[in-house]
Amino acid sequence: MLHDAKDINSSTTAIATEAAPDNKTRRYDRQLRLWAASGQSALESSRILVISGTATSTSILKNLVLPGIGHFTILDPAKVTPEDAGNNFFLEGSDSIGKFRAEEAVRLLLELNDGVDGNADLKGLDEIIDSERGKEWLSEFSLVIAHNLEQKVTEKLSHWLWQDSTRPPLVVVRSAGFLAEFYIQYHEHAVIESHPETAQSLQIDKPFPALLKYATSLDFENMDVTDHGHVPFVIILVRVLEEWKKAHVGNPPSSYEDKKEFKKEILAMRKKIDAENFEEAESQAYRAWTPSKVPSDIHALFSDPQVTNVTPTSAPFYHLVHALSRFVEEQPSKTLPLTSTLPDMKSSTDAYIQLQNMYKQRAEEEKEILKGYLKVPVDADMVDAFVKNSHALKLLRGKRYGQAEENKVAFAENLQTSPKAYAIHLALSALSSFASKQQQGAPLTPTEEVLTSEAQALLPPGADLPHEFADAVGEAIRTPTADLPNVAALLGGLVAQEVIKVITKQYIPINGYCVVDMIDMSTAVLG
Amino acid sequence: MATAELTTTQKPDWAGRYFHIDQVLNSGGPRTDPQFAAGDEVKKFLRETSKILVIGAGGLGCEILANLALTGFKDIHVIDMDTIDISNLNRQFLFRPKDVGHSKANVAAEFIMKRVPGVKVTPYFGKIQDKGEDYYMQFHLVICGLDSVEARRWINATLVNMVDESNPDSLKPMIDGGTEGFKGQARVIIPTVTSCYECSLDMLNKPTAFPICTIANTPRLPEHCIEWASVLEWPKVFADKKLDTDDPEHIGWLYKVAAARAAEFKIEGVTWSLTQGVVKNIIPAIASTNAIIAAACCNEAFKIATSSAAYLNNYFMLIGTESVYSYTFEHEKRADCPVCGGEAVDINLKSDTTVEQLIDILIEKQDIQIKKPSLSTSTKQIYFQAPPQLEQATRPNLEKKVSELVPDGGDITVTATTLPFNLSIRITYSS
Repeated sequence: MLHDAKDINSSTTAIATEAAPDNKTRRYDRQLRLWAASGQSALESSRILVISGTATSTSILKNLVLPGIGHFTILDPAKVTPEDAGNNFFLEGSDSIGKFRAEEAVRLLLELNDGVDGNADLKGLDEIIDSERGKEWLSEFSLVIAHNLEQKVTEKLSHWLWQDSTRPPLVVVRSAGFLAEFYIQYHEHAVIESHPETAQSLQIDKPFPALLKYATSLDFENMDVTDHGHVPFVIILVRVLEEWKKAHVGNPPSSYEDKKEFKKEILAMRKKIDAENFEEAESQAYRAWTPSKVPSDIHALFSDPQVTNVTPTSAPFYHLVHALSRFVEEQPSKTLPLTSTLPDMKSSTDAYIQLQNMYKQRAEEEKEILKGYLKVPVDADMVDAFVKNSHALKLLRGKRYGQAEENKVAFAENLQTSPKAYAIHLALSALSSFASKQQQGAPLTPTEEVLTSEAQALLPPGADLPHEFADAVGEAIRTPTADLPNVAALLGGLVAQEVIKVITKQYIPINGYCVVDMIDMSTAVLG
Repeated sequence: MATAELTTTQKPDWAGRYFHIDQVLNSGGPRTDPQFAAGDEVKKFLRETSKILVIGAGGLGCEILANLALTGFKDIHVIDMDTIDISNLNRQFLFRPKDVGHSKANVAAEFIMKRVPGVKVTPYFGKIQDKGEDYYMQFHLVICGLDSVEARRWINATLVNMVDESNPDSLKPMIDGGTEGFKGQARVIIPTVTSCYECSLDMLNKPTAFPICTIANTPRLPEHCIEWASVLEWPKVFADKKLDTDDPEHIGWLYKVAAARAAEFKIEGVTWSLTQGVVKNIIPAIASTNAIIAAACCNEAFKIATSSAAYLNNYFMLIGTESVYSYTFEHEKRADCPVCGGEAVDINLKSDTTVEQLIDILIEKQDIQIKKPSLSTSTKQIYFQAPPQLEQATRPNLEKKVSELVPDGGDITVTATTLPFNLSIRITYSS
């Protein structure tokens, strides 16, 4: 039924206009409210490779197929075993036993969304990673996910993907019984649309010229009582602050006494005791003395080598940050460009719309100034989004999978400071090391001694194991090969969610390991 | 329990079917209760005896049913009063386009039984309020994947009230999940033992309400124009026709009227999507968050049913917008919880507070959340919202001072249609 639908770009532009939405937009309505047409179109252009068709793998894919990724491939030479048939929802019980796992899973996953393309590939990763053609094939995916893959192959894969920053990010997922973890390997990940909870500053402490002029020229004294009760708080604050600064050698209120006095001055302007706009101005008074500053992490970006040494081939993100740093440095406000997003406030329609137009006009002017600093042309929508989110930009720099553990001393220190989460990570790592030494296909029966010695090998000689390690390793011994349906489902949600964030470049993905303990139901991110 | 009947309808379990699950059932772990009856006993209980109720077959419900079936629960019941809409298909993965318009409970039950052999899912296409204590008494556990506060309050109060200290079987653990966008929570409620849903009402966000005078006189936001169309204009133009927010023609009319008003006031941003979002109070929903929360809920159900690991004590909160942040904590029981606390809620009034003002105070209270309360004492009716004759008869009391009707330290019983229990409040006065 989705085939007759328009593509998502044209149909979601329709959201912004007037027509009733088409079937595709209706189907995706609840997610478009989170990542909009831009996020949806990024998802639809993505190609995901999942290595091995385990219960966890199909759970992850289910949550990517439903929101509508473009394509997925399951790479798996295995046939369905009776064990697989019991814990994987994307197999048809005992009927699937003996058939190819990838083919069965792809067929059943595709039923979820006929806008998605899927492929079962019956080769093994070993043969792919060792051939030039195979490597080329791998690099055509947008992202690769591997669940409970044998350690040596995982290392080979992660090293090869890491060698070149244009190769796809890798998600490594491990689970055993109630314990699990996953890691996202990327060189860097820049986010403009982080969807922050906090709004940009209204810059009341640094009013732009038109706002200042308007606020200081308003004749509050002779204003009609109704109009007086409808002046937006932003204008009241700009006015009172300007008068305050005149009386205090240019300084805003700073001490507790000052602030109390400032609030009194606001309320003293009232013509009616219950004027809600003045009450609002009083409650928002902090905006007058809170300086509009560049957040420290944004400021730190300005001196990032990728920003200071920006070249014509640098990604637009770095060009934008570079332009932003010049804006902050050279513009008299010394702060981020203004945005036109005003919160609702007690006011008449006309006064609010007038204020909104003033902000809009100024924001437009400042955006043009910012564009003037750009050394290369950048897509207009991207500039808009960048200005709107300039207080909440995010640049994440990642590490190669396994790189953090190469520093054994640091690992041991982390194990002391966050014992519970690191103990789980250590136990799962020990289990992987142990498994990699066993014969493929043989039952995995680790003992506490052997896993403890595997763990010890990952730490400096003589390092102490916290008692939390005994809890974690006990579970690893109890359930060395259990891909529990509930754990698979939880990982399916968590991993898919992070993959969506990486692909859409919206919201902020994890940087490091996410560790899950489903006994006490907790998660932790190890950075 | 109808064990015999079950074994006759299910296909036999194939060898290896429970290979994964059995690893946690064959032996305990370091954090497992030593009382854990590992092995055949616990498997038999899970697969042959236990009976579980799933409330809601929507975003969480679909996930919950699949997880329960795979973990070995074989006698599952599901209640949902809704039918399938096209906007469900981005996450409610047991439904296909051909199912649009059909009962969620029926379609979901049928799908699970087809996909996971030997599992019996009994659907009920209707309201939870249609069922009484005898119905809820048959289950060992209840999992809720609901989107309404009212329904959660009702089932919570029902399960707490069912607890009979002389009958341990009357204690029905309730596991409750909820999601909104990238955020969600899962919790375990052991009625009368842990904090209950009512204990935590004050954790809910206050719904955004626009003052009627803003809507009528000084609209500033596109939302104000949409509210004007739906709250003021619709009843004026269609006196006899109830607004159906699922009817695209109705939404289309609201959108047109709201857009015209926005143009008149030079307000930008009224769209079809926003109109629908405001009037239906749409909450963003995605498959991944539902998967996480449903998995957490089912994992608790599994742990409670099997004792293979300790269960969550008692609240798991997830925020997925920035990295993966979660917080696991024990939500405390409220001694004055109107459902499980036993103590009356204390309300201190000025001696000249009127009955009408008291009603406003009650409506404002975040930890009570009622819309139209009726008030009475053991001896007299103070104010009743309905029926009309009683409302009329008690209306003069609205202007009276509460202190004229209730002594210091006296109790008032508060009832409301949205309240699944009688709330007792104790009034004290300060001068």
